[in-house]
Amino acid sequence: MNLSHTENIYLPKVAIIDRVMDEIAEVKTFYWHFDDPAEQGAFSRFRPGQFAQISLFGVGEFPSSLPPSPTEEETFFTIRQVGSCTAALHKLKAGDKFAVRGPYGNGFQMEDYYGKNLVFVAGGIGLIPLRSCIVYALKHRDKYERIQIYYGSKTPKELMYSANLREWVESAGVECSLTVDRSEEGWTGNVGVVGSLFRKPGVQVPVDNTIAFVCGPPIMFRFVIKDLLELGFQERNIVSTLERYMKCGVGKCGHCCIGMAYVCADGPVFTYEQIKKLGENI
Amino acid sequence: MKARILGRADVLEIVDQLRRQGYEVIAPFCGRGRDTFFDTVTDGNCAEIQIHLPNPYYPPKRFVLPHIERLLKVQSSRDKILIEPTYESPKLAIFGIRSCDVAGISHLDRFYLGREFRDIYYEKRRSNLFLVNIVCTDLNQDINDECFCVCADTGPAARDHFDLQLMDLGDDFMAVAGTPAGEAMFANPIFRQGVEADIEKRRAILNNVRKRFKSTTSWFSATVRYISLGEVLEKTWEEIGNRCFECGGCTYVCPACTCFTVSDRRVGPDEIERVRIWDACALGGFTRMAGGHNPRKAVHDRRNRRFFRKLAHYFIQRELSMACVGCGRCADVCHGDIGMPSVVEIIRRAAAEIDKHELVTH
Repeated sequence: MNLSHTENIYLPKVAIIDRVMDEIAEVKTFYWHFDDPAEQGAFSRFRPGQFAQISLFGVGEFPSSLPPSPTEEETFFTIRQVGSCTAALHKLKAGDKFAVRGPYGNGFQMEDYYGKNLVFVAGGIGLIPLRSCIVYALKHRDKYERIQIYYGSKTPKELMYSANLREWVESAGVECSLTVDRSEEGWTGNVGVVGSLFRKPGVQVPVDNTIAFVCGPPIMFRFVIKDLLELGFQERNIVSTLERYMKCGVGKCGHCCIGMAYVCADGPVFTYEQIKKLGENI
Repeated sequence: MKARILGRADVLEIVDQLRRQGYEVIAPFCGRGRDTFFDTVTDGNCAEIQIHLPNPYYPPKRFVLPHIERLLKVQSSRDKILIEPTYESPKLAIFGIRSCDVAGISHLDRFYLGREFRDIYYEKRRSNLFLVNIVCTDLNQDINDECFCVCADTGPAARDHFDLQLMDLGDDFMAVAGTPAGEAMFANPIFRQGVEADIEKRRAILNNVRKRFKSTTSWFSATVRYISLGEVLEKTWEEIGNRCFECGGCTYVCPACTCFTVSDRRVGPDEIERVRIWDACALGGFTRMAGGHNPRKAVHDRRNRRFFRKLAHYFIQRELSMACVGCGRCADVCHGDIGMPSVVEIIRRAAAEIDKHELVTH
């Protein structure tokens, strides 16, 4: 066997934090670049919906979706502090080093959706992977028909990417509706679950020739799917990205295998039609 | 495949020949009672190598996929990170590997080296591994009540994926070369040309050996169909799940299980090792995510998972083999008696139950 050209699929590459931004409580956005410019060039060809493995040496490695669009200059992760790895990442400051490998997974096939309406439905930090698609779609605005965003969080303080949201709400090219579960002082928008936005007066969700992107916590996912099916969406026109704690990201470790699919290699993007056939809880 | 004959007294000369070629030779030995194990051959223990013995519970899989394997050595501080992959590929020969375990390694080959991503750690070890398969022919020693290689179609005589295969014909042994490296061994004068009678003898012995297998997996192909189509009832999985002690034993003795977890450990002030460690889908934490959400919480969901991954048609098609080689180890070690043969039996009984209530109309 000739081994000389085989690449090590488990080898992360050194990356440097450029700056850290507080997003919402316990969620920060880390702007970073690879130490080696050649790595940066290869990595920046990722597709919306793909993910990367982040290494904090001595603590571990974890998967994260990629919130930037490949059309943007800077690479960044948006990470909620939930476990030991994310806690270690949250301690890093500008100039600190960590390591990244990827991108992995199938991603959203944005070119296949040319000429269609795009409806993005996100809950909470479910906006992180969808942000990539939204920015990508707006950059290629003439390729798509209507673009709608329905985004909800628990409270107004927990709405992510506020600068982007402002831009999307104000932009003529996109219909963006926001909602919160619980109102707070100063909030004049809608109160209720994301699905309640679909039934608001003046709102019309296009169903024909439309792809719906759904991302959010499991309970939100279930209700939104129900709403979309009631509106007349076909299961194959609803897409989502699944979450698992992949240890390898390349279809070997077995941790993300659901039914017949390795989420890391066969996903993480699946249509609802495919998700139903996986035959396990998601 | 080329075959040669060698005298009984010369069989262990093959071990010496491999050692002279620079191989570290691993061979099976007897401990006390049923205990058998693979160990490195030395000048001191080479006379104790066993040709016929119960297959060791701890499978030889670990010589290509160690239960803990270092992947990276990392010098890490806040402003400096140096990452160095650490490869090991010792020149190893396993003497006396059984046909089921040969099939196990060939399954691992397709899993780790197939598809889009190749596992370089596995590949480096595998490329330096020499396999001397011994066919199970001793009805009392080699084959126990749990063996079902005849059902998994992996034995008693492996058809391929070995370098050299040895079979006990009584006074003599037959050696079959499976690779050019195996055939090169025939340069040793201990090997001589066989005659037609030797081949006849081989056939007769194999026919006789096949009758020894007791385990009831005659419903294997139907089980594959039921599992692939998702037709095994939830309550059957619950029955199987209720008997699982969640010890993970079945996965640790399985020659075809591939799952691992990855862990970092500190070995110096600024030095870290990243290792991979065998993991088991039987364990509750296997699918747990940060924050505590665990999509596969119930024991029976995890049992369902194991057997689906091993027997579903989709994966068989992908890897060209079931992830079960019929070695019977899971049946031997499981405290709840839900090794592969028992699961096949439980699904068979459950299906009979469904059939009883099936309405046949005109």
